[in-house]
Amino acid sequence: MNARAIAPDVIAAFDEEIRKLHARVAGVIGCVLATTDGRRVSAVVDNEADPQRVSAMVGSIVALGETIGREVMIGRTQFVAVSAVDGMILLQRVPAKRDLLVVGTLARRHTNLGILLHETGIAAEAAARILDDWLGRDLQPA
Amino acid sequence: MSEELKLLFAGAMGAGKTTAIRAISEIAPITTEAANSDHTECNKEETTVAMDYGEITLATGEKLRLYGTPGQARFQFMWPILATGALGVVILIDNSRPDPLADLELYLDAFRALADGGAAVVGVGRMDRCPQPSLEAYAERLAALDVVVPIVPADVRRRDEVLTMLEILLQQLEATWAYDEAIGDGLSGHGLMGAHP
Repeated sequence: MNARAIAPDVIAAFDEEIRKLHARVAGVIGCVLATTDGRRVSAVVDNEADPQRVSAMVGSIVALGETIGREVMIGRTQFVAVSAVDGMILLQRVPAKRDLLVVGTLARRHTNLGILLHETGIAAEAAARILDDWLGRDLQPA
Repeated sequence: MSEELKLLFAGAMGAGKTTAIRAISEIAPITTEAANSDHTECNKEETTVAMDYGEITLATGEKLRLYGTPGQARFQFMWPILATGALGVVILIDNSRPDPLADLELYLDAFRALADGGAAVVGVGRMDRCPQPSLEAYAERLAALDVVVPIVPADVRRRDEVLTMLEILLQQLEATWAYDEAIGDGLSGHGLMGAHP
């Protein structure tokens, strides 16, 4: 997949899922959908964070989380969380047929982690369906 | 004398950082590769997105910890993280890229503190297919940047050539004040070419 080549309607569908995730959890202040190699696909960020840089970092951190998970033999990584003084960010892979996308959700400090996990998972599954449909569509004869 | 030394491999995407570490590491390298979504920059299927890691033990018993950086500029945030505590850097240049001299400048600038201390070596790959720029052109560019580091042709698929670069880098390190300050009594007789296995 080349992120520059994603069809406009597919980008629009990703944008819609990212907007919905951002809107449905009160404490969420940013959502990023990125390629696993760190390129921005879709983002909504309320603060001054640069979505382009965040996208690169999301790709790296998910890869590092999965790598250390393999190294210590605890099975497939489900998500990576960074908890900070003023908030948290939750990162997880989009569970599509091909490992091509990651999603990150930035939230304020008191946001419930369980809800954040649940809602980020819903967005990730929606993004997976969109990605699978698009890649399947590309395989169909014209 | 420290028994573990940290060295970096830096350079553009596709320059061979992961390959170089794989070529010499005595442990199964740790890699963080993801599907490459930008075939305009480099036509390969996967790319390093966080770091590579390998180890090699010198004949003297000292262990080199080898870290590979992700190459793309968007991963610049990883470079200083990985450079923390590093004693030297191998900058790999792919001579088949559109502007390898610009690549040299980018990575020299990123690791300038190491290069200024003489703790760097530049390895230029794919010179067989793309002989230009020549090593002289690289030397001229380095001189213009007021940087004095060795430049060598290197096929990073070959273990001996990667070890040669490290040998040169370690000899450079021995000759620098920074290395003397960090290590104390130097690395005389490190015997890289006799590295295990």
